[in-house]
Amino acid sequence: MKSLLFIISVITSQFAYSQTSAEIKKPTIIALSPHIVEMLYDIGAGEQIIGTTSFANHPEEAKKIPVIGNYVRLQLERVIELQPDLIIAWKSGNPSDDLARLKQLGFTVVYSQPNTFKDIADETRLFGKLTGNSEKSQQVAKEFEKELKAITQTYNNKTEITGFYELWSRPLTTVAQHSWPQQFLNICGVNNPFEKALTPYPQISIEQVLPASVQVIIQPNSKSQKERESFNWQNWPMIPAVKNNNIIKPDTDAIHRMTLRSLNALDSLCFAVDNIRKKLFSTSTVTTQKLTLGAAK
Amino acid sequence: MNKESVNKAPSSKTPAILFTLAALVIVSAIASITFGPANIGVNDLMSCLFSSCQNQVANVVIWQVRIPRVLVALVAGMGLAIAGAILQNTTRNPLADPYLFGIVSGAGLGATIANISLVDNLTIALPLAAFLGALFSVVIVVFIAKVLQHMEQLLLAGVAVSFMLGSITQFILYFGEPFATNRVIFWLMGSLARVEISNFYVISGVLIIAIATVIALHRQIDALLLGDESAASLGVDVDKLRLLMLAICAALTATIVAYCGGIGFVGLMIPHIVRQLIGVTTLKLIIGSALIGAIFLIWVDVVARSSLPEAEIPIGIITSALGSLFFLFIMYRSRQSNL
Repeated sequence: MKSLLFIISVITSQFAYSQTSAEIKKPTIIALSPHIVEMLYDIGAGEQIIGTTSFANHPEEAKKIPVIGNYVRLQLERVIELQPDLIIAWKSGNPSDDLARLKQLGFTVVYSQPNTFKDIADETRLFGKLTGNSEKSQQVAKEFEKELKAITQTYNNKTEITGFYELWSRPLTTVAQHSWPQQFLNICGVNNPFEKALTPYPQISIEQVLPASVQVIIQPNSKSQKERESFNWQNWPMIPAVKNNNIIKPDTDAIHRMTLRSLNALDSLCFAVDNIRKKLFSTSTVTTQKLTLGAAK
Repeated sequence: MNKESVNKAPSSKTPAILFTLAALVIVSAIASITFGPANIGVNDLMSCLFSSCQNQVANVVIWQVRIPRVLVALVAGMGLAIAGAILQNTTRNPLADPYLFGIVSGAGLGATIANISLVDNLTIALPLAAFLGALFSVVIVVFIAKVLQHMEQLLLAGVAVSFMLGSITQFILYFGEPFATNRVIFWLMGSLARVEISNFYVISGVLIIAIATVIALHRQIDALLLGDESAASLGVDVDKLRLLMLAICAALTATIVAYCGGIGFVGLMIPHIVRQLIGVTTLKLIIGSALIGAIFLIWVDVVARSSLPEAEIPIGIITSALGSLFFLFIMYRSRQSNL
C-alpha cells in the first residue's frame, strides 16, 4: 500500500509540475487487459492508452489501440519502444515474469485485481488519480455505487429461488463462493446449491444437479459461441427449470468482465430472475421495474 | 548411399562439419540480434553494438532484452541437446530425453506450488521452486530404479513419476486459484522473453561443468554403448557412471527449465541429427549436439519473438511442432534406407 501511495504521489507531482505548461500532460498508459481498457475509457482516460493486449474490444475505439501481447506473453521490446509513463496490469491475468522484468527495466507497474463490485468503484477512483482524471472518476464511481445500492435494495428481501449457473458445458462447470459470478446470484436472490464447494469454479456432474430441484438455469452465452457448445438441458425435463423453460441466457462478456458494464448485466439478470420468481410465486404482490442505469453504459 | 559409406562419411568430414557448425553458431548469434518486434534500424543497431548508443530505446532493447535472449538461447540449446545426447548414450535408448525423467513434471509441480502459495515473490520463488521440483523428480526416479535394482528401468520409472507428479500438480491447481492454472500452463510452454543476463551466467556455469565431466569420461560412456557386461569387463562401474550422468543431465535441464520453462524435443531431436551428420561416439555427439542445439534454439527464438506482429509464440510450442515433424521425417528416411 505504501508503494502504491508513493507511485500516486510521484505521478501526481509530475502532473503538478507539468501544469505550468499551457496544457496538462497526462501520462501515457499501457493497459494490459480488456477490463482495464474499458475502465480507463469510462473515466475519460481512453486517449492516453498507447498499448494493450488482445480482446480489448470495448468501446469500439479500443480496437484501434496497438496490441503488444496477450494473456500468455507480452512483447517487452514493444513496451520499451512505446515508453509508457504507466503500465496498468491485471495481477492474476498477466504473465508475472514479464511484469517483473518490466519493473526491473524501470517502468511503473500498477496492478488491477477487481474481485467484487466494490473493487470496481475503488479501482475506478485509483485509475482516476493515476491518470489525471480524478474528478471524472469520482463522479463515475459514485454513480456506480449509487446504482449498485439501488439494485441491491430492490432485490434484497425477495424470496430466494434455487438456481444453477452454467459456467461451461464440457465438463459441466459451475460457480461457488469466491467466484466473480457468485455475487450476482447473491444480489439477485438466487440460492446456488454449489455455493459452498471447495473450489470457486467446481466441475460437477448432472447427477449432482438433479436432486437440487433447480428452478432457474443461468447459461451465459457469448455472441461468438455456437448454441451446441452449451449444455443441452432439454435432455433433462425432470429439472423444474427445464420443464418450465426458466433458462436465462445473459451475455458472457457483460457478465464476466469486471467493469462498470457489469452493473447492467447485474440489473438485467436480477430482472429476469425476478420475472421467473413472479411466475413461481404468482401470489406475490411485489412488483419490480428494471432500473435505468446511468453510469454503466 | 550404402552402409559402408554412411559409416565412413561422418568421420572423414567431421572436422570440416564441426568447423562449419561453430562458424554458424557465431553467425546465428550475431544475425539473430537484428530480429525482433521493436523497430531498430541498422545504424542504431551498429552504434549500440560497437560504439556509444544515441538511441536510448534501442540501447535498452538490444542490451537488456535481445542479447540476453540470444545468449540464453545459445546455452539452453546447447544444454538441452547435450543432456539428451548423454542420456541416449548412457541408457542406450534412442528415445531417452531429460523430460522423460519427469523433469518438466517436477518443475511444473514446483511452479504450481510457487504460484499458489508464493504469489508475491514469484520472480525468485518460481525458478527456485521449478528447479527444486525438477531435482525432486529425478531423485525419486533414481530411488525407484535403485530399489528395483535395475538402472536400465530408469526410463520406465521416469514415465511413472512424470504421471504421478503431473496428477499432483493438476489436483493442486484444481483446488487452487483459477488463474494459477493459466499461469502454470503458459509458463510450462516455455519462453525466453523473461530471461536476463544473470540467467546466462548460471546456465553457462552448469553447462561448462557438464561438458567438462562428459569429455573427461567420454571413453567410459562409449564403453556403455557396447552393453553393460562389456563395459563392466572393461573396468567401468556401470551403475555409478549412469547415476553420475543422470545427475549432470538433471542439474543441467532443471536449471534451463527453471529459467526458460518447458522447451520440449530439443534433447530428443538434436542428437539424432548429429548421429546422421557426425557420428555416434560420445565426444563427437556432445560437441555436435552443443553446436546444432545452439543454432536451433537461437533461430526458434527468433521465430517466437518476430513471427507474429502483436504477440510472442511460446518457444516450447515451436520446438515441439518442428521437432515432431522432423522426427517423423528422420524415421521415414531411415526406413527408406533400410529397405
